Amino acid sequence: MTQVLEGFLQALSAGLLIGAVYGLMCVGLGLIFGVMRVINFAQGDFMMLGMYAAFYFFTALGVQATFGNTFGPFVAILLAGPVLAVFGYFVHLTLISRVSGTRTSSLEGEGHYAQLILTLGIALILQNGGLLVFGSVLASIRTPLSSSAWELGPLFYDVSVFINKARGIDAVVSLVTMLLLTLMITRSRIGKSLRAAADNPTAATYMGIDVDRAHRIAFALGTGITAIAGGLLATNYPFHPFVGVEYVIVMYAGVVLGGMGSIIGAFWGGMTIGLVQQMSTLILPTQLQNAAIFVVFLLIIFFRPQGFFGRMVERT
Amino acid sequence: MLHIEGLTSGYSIPVLNDVSIKVEEGQFVAIVGPNGAGKTTLFKTISGIVRPSTGTIRFANQDLLSIRPAQRAHLGIAHVPEGRQVFPSLTVMENLEMGAMTEAGQRDWKHNIERIFEWLPILAERRGQFAGTLSGGQQQMLAIGRGLASSPKLLMLDEPSMGLAPTIADFIFERLIEIRRQSNLTILLVEQRVAEALESADHGYVLEAGRVALEGNNQTLRADDRIRKAYLGM
Ligand SMILES: Nc1ncnc2c1ncn2[C@@H]1O[C@H](COP(=O)(O)OP(=O)(O)OP(=O)(O)O)[C@@H](O)[C@H]1O
Ligand SMILES: [Mg+2]
Repeated sequence: MTQVLEGFLQALSAGLLIGAVYGLMCVGLGLIFGVMRVINFAQGDFMMLGMYAAFYFFTALGVQATFGNTFGPFVAILLAGPVLAVFGYFVHLTLISRVSGTRTSSLEGEGHYAQLILTLGIALILQNGGLLVFGSVLASIRTPLSSSAWELGPLFYDVSVFINKARGIDAVVSLVTMLLLTLMITRSRIGKSLRAAADNPTAATYMGIDVDRAHRIAFALGTGITAIAGGLLATNYPFHPFVGVEYVIVMYAGVVLGGMGSIIGAFWGGMTIGLVQQMSTLILPTQLQNAAIFVVFLLIIFFRPQGFFGRMVERT
Repeated sequence: MLHIEGLTSGYSIPVLNDVSIKVEEGQFVAIVGPNGAGKTTLFKTISGIVRPSTGTIRFANQDLLSIRPAQRAHLGIAHVPEGRQVFPSLTVMENLEMGAMTEAGQRDWKHNIERIFEWLPILAERRGQFAGTLSGGQQQMLAIGRGLASSPKLLMLDEPSMGLAPTIADFIFERLIEIRRQSNLTILLVEQRVAEALESADHGYVLEAGRVALEGNNQTLRADDRIRKAYLGM
């Protein structure tokens, strides 16, 4: 009995920890979709770049030497965020802005076809370019914390829960980043103008808000945030240039679960997927983890198609 | 203040044809005309959402057409669009803050918000409510308040009475007159309620099928036979 309970609590805590990072990962995509209505098929590959950026900051650019093995990886990850945000800024400036924002009125299907083709193209270029530049060898950003744990408890009777230290810190970094982003979106002038541009781009223009600039900021932020999430995942999971393909599914599922367009919703969507994935190991073999995600995904889509936080009302 | 000359504008097909309109500082100018005449298209052209093929627009002695759409609000043009177009997922207060994105709106925020709440007290009462959940009349008041929050030099209103019950429309009209009386704001109004619009405006234009069919001051227009027959039902 206590064994079952211990297994359950262990899976629950693992699910919450990984879910916090998945949540952040989904928020990056959700922010871009929410503000711009552009589905970015290259988001997983932006995340891959974030992982490699963190990796090179740590190994080659002196972070390991300065901050040591234990906390160096986290410093490298937090540096990768802004770097990828700048990358996202220029990808929007040079490519995405040609097929989105105020230019869409002159394009077929409001530019959605062009956006699909462009972001898929960027994804392919990044994957194959990554293979050329980084090689196909698995890389990882491990810290000694990745293989050590805190013991919580015994909570009651003999039941105690082990928290992987790296994952614990990952979850905390994720939550703090999410909190800062939420504050920015809800409180700051720039955050409010992003929401206004998302609600009604034409009316936002009447207010003097530069909608294309708002999109660029959202795209940069979304890229940087997904890059941080990627770096955090890389403290536990090795990666390669095609790793984006594996995670992009989780990102879409999370964003859809949370309700397309809701940023907070995307976080809870990612969290749900983390929980389902870890809890499913209690009753299913590990290979079926992803199948479990899709079953839950389908159930939620079936019973609540607008997602957790979705609004049925269309934007005006 | 706003000088439009020989404006031809539209979408894939032209809608406006050689339209010339003047609004001088402190004036209240009304544009009336049947559905589809191109009134909203004219406003969208002034705001830069629609690009004209020929003609000039000067605002405060600047060539407006050379200025990017998002910059035009910063010059002092507030556009209260047809169908209100408030930001539904923002609160009433946040909508007003979006109106105040201009430098002038920032500077005068305290003063403006006080006056807006005085003129349209329902906005103060509902300040924390999401704009998408307001009634149509409340949304129209919010759209007007949002326009005023930018400290505009020119307030452009596109059919503020659209889709509202007559008593609410009357109330909004009465508020506009009062706001104008107290603030001396320059106003360009598009209205279907021709009688009210021509009664309070200094100057009026009749736009029909994309052309200025008639123009004149308050008295000449109200005395014009065509207007009396077609719009005033006399
Ligand atoms: N986005 C658009 N694309 C193509 N044609 C348009 C578009 N918007 C408006 N039109 C056309 O332009 C013409 C003028 O429309 P507009 O909205 O300017 O009229 P209006 O005078 O404001 O009418 P109403 O009193 O009904 O608001 C109409 O024939 C309309 O069908
Ligand atoms: Mg109209």
